[in-house]
Amino acid sequence: MAGWEIPLGAAIAFAAGAIGTAWAQSRIGSAGAGTIAERPETSGSIIVLEAIPETLVILGFVVASMIIIMVE
Amino acid sequence: MLQKMKNILVVGPKKDYQQIVDVLYQEGTVHLQDIPFFLDDPVFSPMETGKTEEISNVLLKLHGIARILPGKAVEAEIERRNGELREKTTDVLLSDAKEMVHLLESKVRDLATRKGDLELTRTTLERYAKVMEKIQPLESRLPILEGFEVSVLLIQREYRDVLDLIRPQLKAITNNQFEFIAADLDDTTTAAITVFNKKYSQEVHSFLFSQNVNEVRVPEEYANMHLEEALSLIEKRKKDIAKEMEEIDRELGTLSEKWQTELAVYTRLLEDRLEELRSLNMFCQSDHTIMIKGWIPKKFLKKTRDALMEKFGNRVVMTEVPVPPEEMEKAPTYYDNPRIVKPFEFFMKLVSPPKYIEIDPSPLLALFFPIFFGIIVGDIGYGLCILGFGLAMKKKFQKVEWMQQLMNIMIISSFPTIFFGFLFGEFFGDFGEHIGLLHPVHFLGITWNRVEAMIPLLVLAIAIGVIHIFVGLSIGILNAYARHQKKHLCEKAGMMGVVLGIILLILTFVKVLPSFMMIVSAIILVAFLPLLVYGGGTMGVIEVMSTIGNILSYARIMAIGMASVILAMVANELGGAIGVVVAGIVIAVLLHALNIILAMFSPSLHSVRLHIVEFYSKFYEGGGTEYRPFGREKKTD
Repeated sequence: MAGWEIPLGAAIAFAAGAIGTAWAQSRIGSAGAGTIAERPETSGSIIVLEAIPETLVILGFVVASMIIIMVE
Repeated sequence: MLQKMKNILVVGPKKDYQQIVDVLYQEGTVHLQDIPFFLDDPVFSPMETGKTEEISNVLLKLHGIARILPGKAVEAEIERRNGELREKTTDVLLSDAKEMVHLLESKVRDLATRKGDLELTRTTLERYAKVMEKIQPLESRLPILEGFEVSVLLIQREYRDVLDLIRPQLKAITNNQFEFIAADLDDTTTAAITVFNKKYSQEVHSFLFSQNVNEVRVPEEYANMHLEEALSLIEKRKKDIAKEMEEIDRELGTLSEKWQTELAVYTRLLEDRLEELRSLNMFCQSDHTIMIKGWIPKKFLKKTRDALMEKFGNRVVMTEVPVPPEEMEKAPTYYDNPRIVKPFEFFMKLVSPPKYIEIDPSPLLALFFPIFFGIIVGDIGYGLCILGFGLAMKKKFQKVEWMQQLMNIMIISSFPTIFFGFLFGEFFGDFGEHIGLLHPVHFLGITWNRVEAMIPLLVLAIAIGVIHIFVGLSIGILNAYARHQKKHLCEKAGMMGVVLGIILLILTFVKVLPSFMMIVSAIILVAFLPLLVYGGGTMGVIEVMSTIGNILSYARIMAIGMASVILAMVANELGGAIGVVVAGIVIAVLLHALNIILAMFSPSLHSVRLHIVEFYSKFYEGGGTEYRPFGREKKTD
């Protein structure tokens, strides 16, 4: 039976990634919305830009899963 | 794949310039190029753009007339007439069009104005009739006197106190020669009718205006008569108006029948000629010849040459101009992909088109995108739903080009999704496994159950990343070779070697590879590091970290897929946990539907992102010119 440390560690890994992503996406999102309003033709690139910070939460998820699975 | 482009020069007699330009325009294959280098020679000068303004004006009028006339011309008829009239010179077309405008404009405009006026009158009468109907109950209390004027005021009920202020003022203005009756019309409006001597008319109206009261003035012809009588007169007038408008519509219909096709044909022809004239300043002329320079895709070369030959014989010559390699960089980019790759050009629009001598990555996008998508979604049920959705949307939005392209991508991507669904043993999450329909495949000593085989999947995702990034770097090497950029070439090759060395080193550390590989990887690192430093300097070395980061970024292929499986499992669990069967099914279906929508959006976005951010950064330069042939824009390709 694992102690409380392992799930807590996993939670911190995931939450930190999620918070980082949320912060970055909120800023890119608001700037992107402004850009699209001015130049609608840029919407394709803005959507891709918006997806870039998701790396953080995905890596957080990977680390969290690895903590749960691999730490005995 | 980019189509091979040829640089051409068309030379012909100046007297035929209009027909030459027209033939090229109708062919719609030549991407025009400025020819400033001829202009150094005083014999040559750019051609005048001519009567563009005049044509624009006539076109404006033609558009105006066509807009008023009802109905639309038949496309086949337009095509037929177009063929008949195409041979005419611009001047003849212009004078014909002017004559047509002269004949139609005043007539059509008159009819339109009359119709507009009648519509306005009808609306006004309807408004009066509405008010009159409302105030009819007050009429019995009102004296009708010759030489007196009636005015109706409408006031919102909550402001009816204003009437008490108006009454003494009116009394003062009219020297008590007035009548003022107020009554509530409905829940919100109060009407007041005032009758006063006509000689005070102006003062009364200006006073009412200054008080900002909504005054309804009865039109002259309906004043001084009973409301009932006025209402029936208005009704009669409305009927007359309807009849008159019908008559106008009939007249417009007749004109339309007679002229609509002609208008459409002349509009189209003149639009073409205008476009041709506007391009004239890209052509070059001497006293007796004209020259047109441009790029043409190799596969259209013969067709265009034949068209010129058929029309002008040997009088017009189209020659291929040899272009030095550095000039080729400026050639426009024309995607000429097989049908299965074509939809993926949609994603190429997110970045500027590749330069002509660069390698076009769209075929690779068409190969890797569906694989990434398939591994991420990896579910037979979802794959079938996405396939069905794609087909349905394609059928529904047949005219919307971007939707067609996007749905083609979805349809192509649904096949790997079904394949990987079979590998992972997933049919709506673990539903297939529950009912014993299928099980994860045991392959390479691993049971590919996505929830349990997380580490093998992570390794698979990273391995795909390594392959993808290495393909990118290899293309980078080819691009650098094509441009004879030695440093770039060394940088890309060095990067490949160093990253390979690092990967081998890691694999040796985790004991996947035997320990002697440590020496091999060290040799590779030592061999390639100088290349990297020579090609990219210190930044090149720092770039190694970012490339490793790029490779790790491919972990998302596993992670997003994992999230999708877990949500699918939650849908099944939640559906199963609810005691009522119907409610359970509804909840499971709703959650799966949500997951499918997410599955179409998120994996596409991340697959595109992996290409644009991670893959393209290894070789793509962009900044090319899109191939825009001189000709009428085609609606569908």
